[in-house]
Amino acid sequence: MVLRSVNLPGVGTKYEFETDKGDIVAIFFTKTGTIQMYTLQQGCNTPSAAEMSPMEARRLGNILTGAIIEAEAESVEIAFSALADLRITIHTYLIPKEITGKTIEDLQIRSKTGVTVIAVSRKDKNIINPPPSFVFETNDAVVVIGETDQLKRFEREVMVD
Amino acid sequence: MEGIVLALFLCLILALVTKYLSIPPIPFYIIGGVLLGKSGFALVTSDEISRFFAQMGLIFLLFFMGLGLKLERIAANRSAVLTSGIIDLNINMLIGFVAAYMFGFSIIESLVIASAFYISSTAMTITSLVENRKLMMREAETVIWLMVFEDLVLILFLAIISAGDQNPLLFLLKIAGVLAILYAVAHYGKEFLINLLDRSDELPILFTFGAVLTTASFSMYLGVPETMMVIALGAALATTDPDAFEQHARPFKDVFLVVFFVFFGITINLASGVNMVMILFISLLAVVSKFISGILTGIFIHESALAGIEIWGNTIGRGEFSIAIAALYGSPLVATTIAGMVIVTSIIGAFTAKYCTGMRKWMAAPWRRKSSYHSHSR
Repeated sequence: MVLRSVNLPGVGTKYEFETDKGDIVAIFFTKTGTIQMYTLQQGCNTPSAAEMSPMEARRLGNILTGAIIEAEAESVEIAFSALADLRITIHTYLIPKEITGKTIEDLQIRSKTGVTVIAVSRKDKNIINPPPSFVFETNDAVVVIGETDQLKRFEREVMVD
Repeated sequence: MEGIVLALFLCLILALVTKYLSIPPIPFYIIGGVLLGKSGFALVTSDEISRFFAQMGLIFLLFFMGLGLKLERIAANRSAVLTSGIIDLNINMLIGFVAAYMFGFSIIESLVIASAFYISSTAMTITSLVENRKLMMREAETVIWLMVFEDLVLILFLAIISAGDQNPLLFLLKIAGVLAILYAVAHYGKEFLINLLDRSDELPILFTFGAVLTTASFSMYLGVPETMMVIALGAALATTDPDAFEQHARPFKDVFLVVFFVFFGITINLASGVNMVMILFISLLAVVSKFISGILTGIFIHESALAGIEIWGNTIGRGEFSIAIAALYGSPLVATTIAGMVIVTSIIGAFTAKYCTGMRKWMAAPWRRKSSYHSHSR
C-alpha cells in the first residue's frame, strides 16, 4: 500500500492510496470543511463518492480503526499493546426512567458491576468524575469505563433495574 | 447608503436562490446590478461609499488569490503547470484578441478583452469540482494547476498594463522595493505574526484588514499597481500562516466582493451603443476556444482527447478575474462586453461542469467500438 498526499491549491489536501488488490481510495479535506471520500474499484472508470461533515468523518474513522459503534449508544475500545494488551472500553448510555432519582451510591454501580461512571452529560453541561452522591435524571448520557464483561454486567444489572 | 442596503438585500436573496439551485452566483449578482442600475429601474447609483466598498472587494479578492500562491509548490509542479498553462494561454489569448480586434476594438482594448476572455473563474471551477464530486479524476488536478497558472499570468498582465508610460526602470525598482519590504516583514516577523494570529481577540482580524489596506494605499502613493502589490502581500504572508489569514480575510472578501459585482452591474450602461450580437458571438467563441485548448491539453497531458472534454467542461465559466480586469481597465463598452461574456459563459459552464462527464461517455461509446477494430491492446 502506497499512501500519497498532495496539497491542491484552492481545494485542500488529498490523500490517496492503492490497496494491494488494486482498488484506490482517495480522501479530500476541502477548504470548506467537508471531507470527500472516493473509492475506485480496480478495472472501473468512474469512482463513487461520499461527502461527509467532519463529525461524520470522525465516526467513519472510529469504525475503520476497529472501535465498535452501536446503534443507539457508542463505545470505543482502547488497547494498550505495550501494557500486556490491556483493553479498556468506554461506553455511553442513556439513563432510563427506572433509575431516575437514584444516586451512584444507591445503585452500588462499582461494587456490583466493576465499572466506573467517569462523566455525565446533562443537556448542554458535562460533569466529569461525578461524586457518589450524584443523582441521575432521565436522559442523562453517562460515560462508563470498564472491561467488556463488566459493561455487560452493568447493562444487565443497573440499566434495567 | 440606502442604495448599498437595497443592493445587498437583493444579493442576499440571489445568494440564497443560487446556493439552493447550486449554480454560480456571480452572473446573477451582475444581472441584479444591471436591473437596479441605470440600464434597469435606476433605483441605485454608485457613490463614494459604494465605490470604496467595491474597491475593497477587488483588493481582498486579489489578496486572497495571493494567499493561495505558494511559489515553492508551483516550482515543484513546474511541468504539470507549464504545458497545460501555455496551451491555455496561447489559444485563448489569441482567439480572444483576434475576435475583439475584428470587431473594431483598439489594440489595448482588445488586449483587455483577450485577458478577460482567457482567464477562467477559479471560484466557479473549484466549487464545481467539489460539488460535482470530480476531485478524484486525473483531469481535476490538471484543471486546478491550470487555475494557478492563470493567476500567475494575471499578475504579469497587471504589471504590464499598469506600467503604462512610466519610466520602466524606475517602475521596476519601485515594485522590487515594495516586494522586498513585504517579504522582509513576512520573513523577519514570522514568529510575531504567527503569535498574533493565534490570539482570540480582535487583533488578528484588525491586523489582516490593516495590512491589506496599508499595502494598497502605500502602493498608490508610490505609483505602483496596488492590485499587484496586494497579491504580493498575500503571497508573502502565505509563508507564515496562510490558513489563519484566509480565515480572517474571508468575511471581508465575501461581503465586499458581492458589493463589487453588484455595483459593476449597476454602472453598466446598455444605452451606449452596445452590440448584443457581438457580445453573444464573443461569448460563444469563449466557449469554443476553451474547447480547443481543453482538447489539446487532454491530448498533451492525458493522451486522450476525451479527457479534454472534462477539462473544457470545468473551465468554461469566466468570472471574478474577468470582471476585475473589466473594472480596472475596461472602457464602458469593453466592460459591458466582458460582463456579457461572464454571464453567458458562467451559466453555460455551470451546465457543462455538471454534464460533461456524461457527454464524454456518450462520445466515448461509438469511438471505442470503432477503435476496437484497430487495436485490442487496450
